[in-house]
Amino acid sequence: MKQAGSSQESFSFKHRIQRGIRDLNKWTVFTVLILLFIAVPVITIFFKLFGGPGESWGHITNYLLVDYLKNSLYLSVLCTLITLVTGVVSAWLVTRFEFPFRTYLEWLLIIPLAIPGYIMAYAYAGFLDYGGIFSWLISPFGIENFKLDMMNVVGLSFVLGISLFPYVYVSARAFFLTQALNLLEASRLLGVSETKSFFKLIFPLSRPAIVAGLVLVLMEVLNDYGAAQYFGVNTFTTGIFRSWFSLEEPETAIYLSALLLSIVFVLIILEKYQRRKLQYTSPKSGRTSINHRIKLSFPRQLLLSFLVSLPVVLGFLIPVIQLLQWAVKTYTQVFNQDLLWLSLQSFGIAFVAACFTVLFALLLLYFSKWNKIYSVQSAAKLGVLGYAIPGAVVAIGIMIPTLSLDKTFIELGWASKFIINGTLIALVYAYVVRFLAVAYQPLESSSLKVNSSIPDSSKILGMGNFKTFFKIEFPLLKAGMLSAFILVFIDILKELPLTLILKPYHINTLAVKAYGYASDEMVMQASIPSLFIILTALIPVIILNKLLLKNG
Amino acid sequence: MNKLPLLLLIVLISFSCKENSEKKETANNKELNVYTHRHYDSDKALFELFEKQSGIKVNVINSKADELIQKMVLEGEQSPADVLITVDAGRLHMAKAKGLLQPVANKETIDSLVAPNLIDKDYHWVALTKRARVLVYAKDRVDPESLSTYEDLILPKWNDKLLFRSSSNIYNQSLMASIVANDGEDAAKKWAQGMVKNQARKPKGNDRDQVKAVAAGEGDIAIVNTYYIGKMLNSNDQSELEAVDKVAVYFPNQNDRGTHINVSGIGVAKHSPNAEAANQFIDFLLSEEAQSVFALSNYEYPVNTNVENSDVLKAWGDFKEDDLHLNLLGELNKKAVILFDEAGWK
Repeated sequence: MKQAGSSQESFSFKHRIQRGIRDLNKWTVFTVLILLFIAVPVITIFFKLFGGPGESWGHITNYLLVDYLKNSLYLSVLCTLITLVTGVVSAWLVTRFEFPFRTYLEWLLIIPLAIPGYIMAYAYAGFLDYGGIFSWLISPFGIENFKLDMMNVVGLSFVLGISLFPYVYVSARAFFLTQALNLLEASRLLGVSETKSFFKLIFPLSRPAIVAGLVLVLMEVLNDYGAAQYFGVNTFTTGIFRSWFSLEEPETAIYLSALLLSIVFVLIILEKYQRRKLQYTSPKSGRTSINHRIKLSFPRQLLLSFLVSLPVVLGFLIPVIQLLQWAVKTYTQVFNQDLLWLSLQSFGIAFVAACFTVLFALLLLYFSKWNKIYSVQSAAKLGVLGYAIPGAVVAIGIMIPTLSLDKTFIELGWASKFIINGTLIALVYAYVVRFLAVAYQPLESSSLKVNSSIPDSSKILGMGNFKTFFKIEFPLLKAGMLSAFILVFIDILKELPLTLILKPYHINTLAVKAYGYASDEMVMQASIPSLFIILTALIPVIILNKLLLKNG
Repeated sequence: MNKLPLLLLIVLISFSCKENSEKKETANNKELNVYTHRHYDSDKALFELFEKQSGIKVNVINSKADELIQKMVLEGEQSPADVLITVDAGRLHMAKAKGLLQPVANKETIDSLVAPNLIDKDYHWVALTKRARVLVYAKDRVDPESLSTYEDLILPKWNDKLLFRSSSNIYNQSLMASIVANDGEDAAKKWAQGMVKNQARKPKGNDRDQVKAVAAGEGDIAIVNTYYIGKMLNSNDQSELEAVDKVAVYFPNQNDRGTHINVSGIGVAKHSPNAEAANQFIDFLLSEEAQSVFALSNYEYPVNTNVENSDVLKAWGDFKEDDLHLNLLGELNKKAVILFDEAGWK
C-alpha cells in the first residue's frame, strides 16, 4: 500500500510537471518576464521575511504590536464600510436616476481622490478647530470656542474614507454603466421591484468590481502614514516607521512590511478562491444606451441631488473651502509663476507614468490569461502588492535592484555614473511598481465582464491572440482602461515618498512642494500647492469622464 | 481624437529627454549634491546665494533623514551625495556610525565659530542652527513662579494639565535622551511615566496644535520648540495670533543644567565626489551672512556666536543652555525611544 501510495504521488508530481511542460507557451514566458520586472522590488522586500527582524523585535511585540494591530483592524473595517456605502450608493444613483446637477456630480465624485490624505487631515482639523470655519459658522447660535475633536480612530476613518471612496465609486460605476442596465431591465420586466432588483441582482453581480475598489481602499488605508501620524493614531505602518526611524532598525521595518505583504496577499488569494466558481460574464457584450435613467418627481429628484452631493461636500467642498481660506492668507508668500511650471511638470510625469502603468497592467493581465498554467496566473497577483506597503519601503525595494544594476554598469565601464537612479527611469519604474494595482484591479474586473465565448470563437475562427484582443476585447475594455488611467494619474500626482527619494534633481512636483511646507507645520502655506494638485487633476478627470460616458 | 493622447505622450517624452540632456551638460561643471531634511524657502535662498558666490551649482534632494541615510547606504561608494543635512544630531550620529561621513576640512574655522558641544568629537558633523525645547504656559492660569524644571512637570499639581506630542517626534526623543544623560535611565523612565500620568489628552497633532490647545484651555502647559512660537507670532492667521497671545514662553532648568536644545546640522559625505565644494559649502553656511539668514527668517538660534538673534528671540531674553555634548544625544536616542514605549508615552 505504502509503495503504491508513493508511486501515486510521484506519478502525480511527474504528471503535474509533464502537464506544465505541455501547457507551457510563449505567453507563460512573457508573463514571467513581466512579472519579474514588476515584482522584483516586492520580492526583494518579501525575501527579507527570511532574514528575520532586528534585535528590537521583542520590544515591539511586547509594547507596541497589539495596539498597532488593533487600530489597523478598526481602521480597515470602518473605512471599508464608509467607502462601500458611499461609493456604491453614489455610483448607482448617478447611473440609474436623472436629477439636477447629475452630470457635474458624476465627475466631482472622483475628485476627493486628488487631495492627499494628510492634507485632507490637516484641512479637517483646521476646519473644526477653535476659531476655525466651523466654529465661525455656528457662533451665531451662541456656541463659542467650539472644537469638534476628530483626531482619533473614528475621525481618521472618516477622513481616509471620504478621500478614498472614489476607488469604489469609479469601478462600481464602470460596471453599472456597461453591464447592469440590461440585466435590470429584464428583472424589472419580470415584475421585481427596483430596490429588490438592486440588492438581489445588481449588487451581487457587481461584486468583482466593488471588491476591486475595496482592495485598493484597504491597501491605501494600511499604508497611510501622514494622516495617522498627525491624528496620533498608531497603526501597523506607524510600527514600520517607528522601527525604522526611531529604533534605528531598517531591517525590522522591512520585516514588518514583508509581514504586511503576506497578509494582503493571503486576503487577495482568499477572495479570488472564494469567488472562483462564480461566473461573472454576461451573454451580451453589454453596451447599453444610458438614456434609460429614471425620472422621479421633482422633489424626489432634489432629494437625490442632495444625497449624491453629500460625499462631494464632505470630500471636496469642505476641504477645498478650508484650503482656499488658507490660500487667501498666504498667497503673497507662496504664489509665483514657478507653480505653473511645477504643475506642468507634475502633469507630464503623471501622464507618462500613468500610460506606462496601464500598459504594464494590460500586458500582465492578458499574457497571464493567454498562458495556460494556472499557478502562473495566480502568481500574477504578486504584481499588485506594491500598493499595500508604504511608499518609503517600496523605495528601498526599488533601490536595491536598480542600484546593483547601476553599479554593475559602472564596473563594466558602460557608464560613468548612475543611469537608472537619479533619472526619470527609476522614478517612472517606481510609479509603475507602486500603482500597478490601481490599474490592474479595474482592468481585471472589467475583463471579467467580457464573456470568454466571444474571444474564444474569434480564436477558433483563426484570429491570433493580439488580433482578437484589439478587435474584440479592447473596445469592451475601454471603460475599464479609462477608469484605471484616471485613478493612476491622480495617485501619481499626489504621490510623495517615492518622488522625494527617487526624483532627479531638476524635477519637482506639486506634491513635493506641498509636503515641504506641511512637514514644517506650515499647513497654511501648503494649501496653494495642494489646490494646484486638485486643479491639475481636474482637467484629465473631466476629459476622461466624457470619453467614459461616450464609450460606456 | 484617438491620436491626441499619443501625440501628447510623444511631446512629453521628448520634453523629459530634453531635460535629461541638459543635465548631462551641466554635469561636467562644478556641482554640489545636497541631501537635506530641511525644506524651508529660506534654505533655498541660501543655496542660491552660495551658487552665485561660488559658481558651484547646488542640486538638492529633499527627504526624511532616515530615508536619505538608507539611500546613501545603498548607493555605497558611488553615492553622488556631497553633504547630508538633518534636523537633529541623532541622525548625523547614525550616519557617522554607518560610516557615511568624513571629517570636515577646516576644523580651526569651525572651532572658532561654534561652541564645542555642538561639534562632533571627530569633526564628522557640525550643528548649523539651534532650537530650544521650552515650556509654553497659559498666562491667565499659570504663575511662572510655579514652574522650574522639566523634571518638576511630573509633580501632582500638574495632573491633567500637560500637553505634548507623540514620542515618534524626534524633538521629544532628543529631550528624553538629554534626561537619560542627566538623570539616568531609571529616573528618566519614571519621568516619562509621570508625564503620561499628567497628560491632559493623548498625544496628537504637532507643536503648534499643543500651543492652540493651551490657549483653548485643554491643558495649561505644553512642550514646544521655540521656532514654532516665532512662526506663530508672525502668522498670517488671526486665530494663531490670538492663540499665541494667550501663552508665554518659559525656559526650564535655568538654575541647574539649562534648557534642552536640539539642532539641525551638516556633515560631508564619506564618498563625496566633490568634497572640496562640500567643505566650502559648510564654511559658507556657518558664515555670519548665512547664519543671520537662518536667524532672521526661521526664528532659529544661530550657532555662529558672532551673529545676533532675531528680535523675536531677543524679546524672550537670554537663557542658559544645557551644554550636554550632542554626541551623547545621538548615542542615547534609541534608548530614549525604548523608555518612551515602556512608559506608555504614545
